[in-house]
Amino acid sequence: MGEERSDARSAGRSGRGVIDALVRGLVEAERHALDAERLADAAGLLQRFDPRIKLVALFALIVGAVATRSLTTLAVLFLVAVALAALSGISPVRLGRQVWAGVLLFSGLVVLPALVLVPGEAVAQLPFVGWTITLQGLRSAAFVIGRAETAATLALLLVLTTPWPHVLKALSGLGVPAVIVAILGMTYRYIFVLMQAARDMMEARRSRVLAPTSGRERRRLLLTAAGMLLARTLALGTEVHFAMIARGYRGEVRLLHDFRTAPFDWMFLALALTVPVVITGWQL
Amino acid sequence: MTATAFDFRDVTYAYRGQAALAGLSFAVDLGERVTLLGANGSGKSTLLRMMDALCFPAAGTALALGASLTEAAFVDEAVNYAFRRRVGLVFQNPDVQLFNPTVLDELAFGPLQLGWDKARVKAAIEATLARFGIGHLRDRPPHRLSGGEKKRVAIASVIITEPDVLLLDEPTAALDPRSRADLVAFLAHGLGAGRTVITATHDLDIIDDISDRSIVLEEGRVAADGATLDILHDVDLLRRTHLVFEHHHSHAGPQAAGHGHLHDH
Repeated sequence: MGEERSDARSAGRSGRGVIDALVRGLVEAERHALDAERLADAAGLLQRFDPRIKLVALFALIVGAVATRSLTTLAVLFLVAVALAALSGISPVRLGRQVWAGVLLFSGLVVLPALVLVPGEAVAQLPFVGWTITLQGLRSAAFVIGRAETAATLALLLVLTTPWPHVLKALSGLGVPAVIVAILGMTYRYIFVLMQAARDMMEARRSRVLAPTSGRERRRLLLTAAGMLLARTLALGTEVHFAMIARGYRGEVRLLHDFRTAPFDWMFLALALTVPVVITGWQL
Repeated sequence: MTATAFDFRDVTYAYRGQAALAGLSFAVDLGERVTLLGANGSGKSTLLRMMDALCFPAAGTALALGASLTEAAFVDEAVNYAFRRRVGLVFQNPDVQLFNPTVLDELAFGPLQLGWDKARVKAAIEATLARFGIGHLRDRPPHRLSGGEKKRVAIASVIITEPDVLLLDEPTAALDPRSRADLVAFLAHGLGAGRTVITATHDLDIIDDISDRSIVLEEGRVAADGATLDILHDVDLLRRTHLVFEHHHSHAGPQAAGHGHLHDH
């Protein structure tokens, strides 16, 4: 009897556990978004630039990182990215958590075979299997990881130091079709509405889960929640379309740009554009 | 002679096989402040959408500002433009209406779609932000606004184009008492004279402040149409249309213990 009760309690906990995990995930996602918005509004070097200029300049630095065939240049660009982050109020800890660890894991897995497959001068031998790690293999791996880390860091700097609406307007200002910009904007806007809807749904469910739930029941719960959310998304989409028509939308999106550039912006852009030009010119 | 804003005759409309409007007739003159009253499912929201040319009658005739409310008529860009310039609808759920990334973009959307030049749009945005006291929200994304702020921005985003006719769907729904009071004060005194304002609601506490005339809907038909105060005093009508109910309860206190009677709410 005691064992049965204990099993029931544990099943009940696991039933709530799935819901709790989903709610925690949604809350965490919202917290991340809020943090990013706060950082984008904070005082910092990159936050001061015109978003269009920043977009082009950081893209130029990414091109430079991808184009270079020098590990030293790559290291310098990486340090520049870290310095820009520091001057914009983004700590290395945050970069490590949000970019470096993930990129290192994935790009590291991808380049692992290159260490032993690329022919060249042997630098070490793996125990047990006897495979030889070559200097050229290590160099290739360092390039891939270095480029991925630098490019991802620069991309994250754009996202963390620019409010998302400004990124969208910058894209529009640089010639990206307005309809694509509008779709990206609405996606961002309604992610939060749907996250809130999902959270409300899960919390309502959690408040009513008292008895133990089986694995099958939990799977059913997730499928039902996904279905409900999809139905709500479709209904919301129709309503939003009506709201757009009501305010004069006829299939063509028009946007308002109110950015202003300063000499400071153009200096940053000139410096950033110099990087890929010098790198490619030097390598020719 | 007073110009007519809306003239509906024997209008019917069905949604997913259910009759939402069933032979509805009424007319509203320009400059009138009218409340559409009705319980949930009485057809208020459908009617407002039809008045904003978002859906069209299946039968009967409907005229809005002289234009025939038919799908065929609104294919014409000129008819659509002229209508959208003069009629604005505030949706019940502000999350539906606030689809832009920031408050500023939200205010700019309507004027830009109507083809205003950018200098005029910017001037209108500044004036509207000041008028609604929402300047501090200009760069905020809508998901960071409170319920009252969302509602205020939603109304501002429609008012910015200064429509002759303003349609509001349940404007006080889900608002806290302070936001509700502010909104009612704005609807009562802040819209300026001469604008036609039609509000769908079942919030009887506000209708005397925001309208002179009320149309009561019941199952897609007009159950009553008259002066707001007369409608408010017709308790039988309000009971029949489920706008008030009889509530039986006991007063607290030792002397009142066991004493019960009916109240109208």
